[in-house]
Amino acid sequence: MHELLTTIEASALATFLRESTSVWAYPTVLMLHTVGLALLVGLNAAFDLRLLGIGRGVPLEAIETWFPVMWIGFWLNLVTGVLLFVTDPIRLGTTTVFISKLGIVAAGVVLIPLLQRAVYGAGAGPGQAPRIPPAARAYAVLSLLIWTAAIVTGRLMAYVSEI
Amino acid sequence: MEQFKAWLDAALASTAWDETLIAFLHSTALSQWVVNGQWVWPIAETLHFIGLALLIGIIAPLDARLIGFMPRVPIAALHRLVPWAIGGFALCLATGLIFFVGTPEQYVLNESWWMKILFLAIAGANMLAFETTQRRRADALPAGAPTPPAFKVIGSLSLASWFLVLYWGRMLPFAVGASF
Repeated sequence: MHELLTTIEASALATFLRESTSVWAYPTVLMLHTVGLALLVGLNAAFDLRLLGIGRGVPLEAIETWFPVMWIGFWLNLVTGVLLFVTDPIRLGTTTVFISKLGIVAAGVVLIPLLQRAVYGAGAGPGQAPRIPPAARAYAVLSLLIWTAAIVTGRLMAYVSEI
Repeated sequence: MEQFKAWLDAALASTAWDETLIAFLHSTALSQWVVNGQWVWPIAETLHFIGLALLIGIIAPLDARLIGFMPRVPIAALHRLVPWAIGGFALCLATGLIFFVGTPEQYVLNESWWMKILFLAIAGANMLAFETTQRRRADALPAGAPTPPAFKVIGSLSLASWFLVLYWGRMLPFAVGASF
């Protein structure tokens, strides 16, 4: 495992991302990771709040379009996240904070289709009205907690050094 | 108060107001607390990011609606989420002030920070323009109706300026004058 991390750390891509002084290298990757966060977590939070009763007048059938945008945020962050990991794999790959973050994000991502299905129904045809069953409310609360934890662990990654 | 007066006098007398401001902020107890407290900075940063997600997660759909997406959603209904965006902004502002008071030299001398402030001001003025001139029309707009050009302009400007606030914020450690 450590050998693999060492190989990644020494790779040309990692070296480029670490050492390039171009604004298009590390700074842009980091910035896009924040944009992805805003889309994925931000829209998730707004949707969760709607399920929990804030902004009741927002018709549920009109905001299923937020889900593809959340997925754009997710894929953006998967790609930029891999690039950020590659710049510092030995430190990150051996810290509990980073490994926890991966688990937390995975849980959050699994919740997205659960949330969508609970509200809009599995393969629901047109004409089936969206609803907010108790399960959807539970998912919403869980989702808010999980994404908060993802941000907490994500930020803490900048402060830990365990090798 | 006396300290503030001394600072103001010095600031007015000096052309190097930025250095005077930096020195003054460093002399405050708040600044010492921010710099010396082991957890202050990481916690403030985390809250800054949570605030950012709330703010953008709510303002972006509202802007998209103003531009013309999701026509079935009444703008007034989306507006009911806005207090949470304001809460997110308040979190960002409070934690932003903590960063600023802690290490003012990282910001005042950083061109990225000035860009961030510029786009914050644009986003704020744009929001004010919407609230004062268009809000009534927005609330009266029936669901499904196309949005007028003024809405599209304000929505696009808002989306662009909030993105640029985030952009320049993220560029803070890499910009000319940065000392992170």
